[in-house]
Amino acid sequence: MVLENYVMLKTGVPARLHFTDHTIQKRTVTDPLTGKPATRNVLVLEVDRLDGREVAAKYSIMAETHANQLAPYLPGKEYRGYDFTITRTGEGFLSRWTVGVIPRG
Amino acid sequence: MARKSRQVESRLVAEYLKEHYSEFPFIMKQPLGVVSEELMKTEGYKRALGITRPFRPEVDAVVILPSYLLIIEAKVWNIVNGLAKLPLYKSLVRVTPELQQYLPRGVLMQLVVGWTNPNLEIMAREMDVEVKIFCPEWLREVVESIHKYWTREYQEERQKKLQMREYFGVE
Repeated sequence: MVLENYVMLKTGVPARLHFTDHTIQKRTVTDPLTGKPATRNVLVLEVDRLDGREVAAKYSIMAETHANQLAPYLPGKEYRGYDFTITRTGEGFLSRWTVGVIPRG
Repeated sequence: MARKSRQVESRLVAEYLKEHYSEFPFIMKQPLGVVSEELMKTEGYKRALGITRPFRPEVDAVVILPSYLLIIEAKVWNIVNGLAKLPLYKSLVRVTPELQQYLPRGVLMQLVVGWTNPNLEIMAREMDVEVKIFCPEWLREVVESIHKYWTREYQEERQKKLQMREYFGVE
């Protein structure tokens, strides 16, 4: 689902994404444990294809575990040569991400 | 409370796959094992996979090679645990619904570690697991700290560091 040009993954439903660019942004969030505002780094990827359809959207990652799965593809924007099938399960701190990496032919 | 560990294993496996298997499709954090057929009938295939996800074991990666599925566990701390899990995970590959499209293929096992020892190698040979040492520069510091972990000097230093993190509210 694309909501206000952000890709929102539905729990348990795989989405196939292709990325064209990325930035690392600072974002102020409310820490769920302390209730206080905290600044976090967010990896924001530009998406041009979602499940085979052309889109102009962003995919935003705050979780370190998930960012680590894509981190090796950031230098030189190497993600452009791959499709990523991402399935999120669980909510909040219990979220998990299964990531399929498929080289583009 | 200051965080006491870093997410190094997810980074380790992602970098290892990129460096060694980037020409093949692969899946990181793949759940393994059966999903109740009754649940699939009542809830549908995708929803049943989602519901059962927290209760299924999860292998760090599956590489789809032309004739084999290569299952990979990456470990930094409890390396024997990683070795012990692999044969058990292998037994689940053939019944995993998400992997049915890639079968029939043989199943190979690989343990990716930042460091090894002779006993680990002996056990791995016995269990038909290939051990791969992968230690990028950023991991060296972690591996060194593992070997110093039980020394009094390291524990004192670590306690100081954790207190400072707590004091400054740094994660």
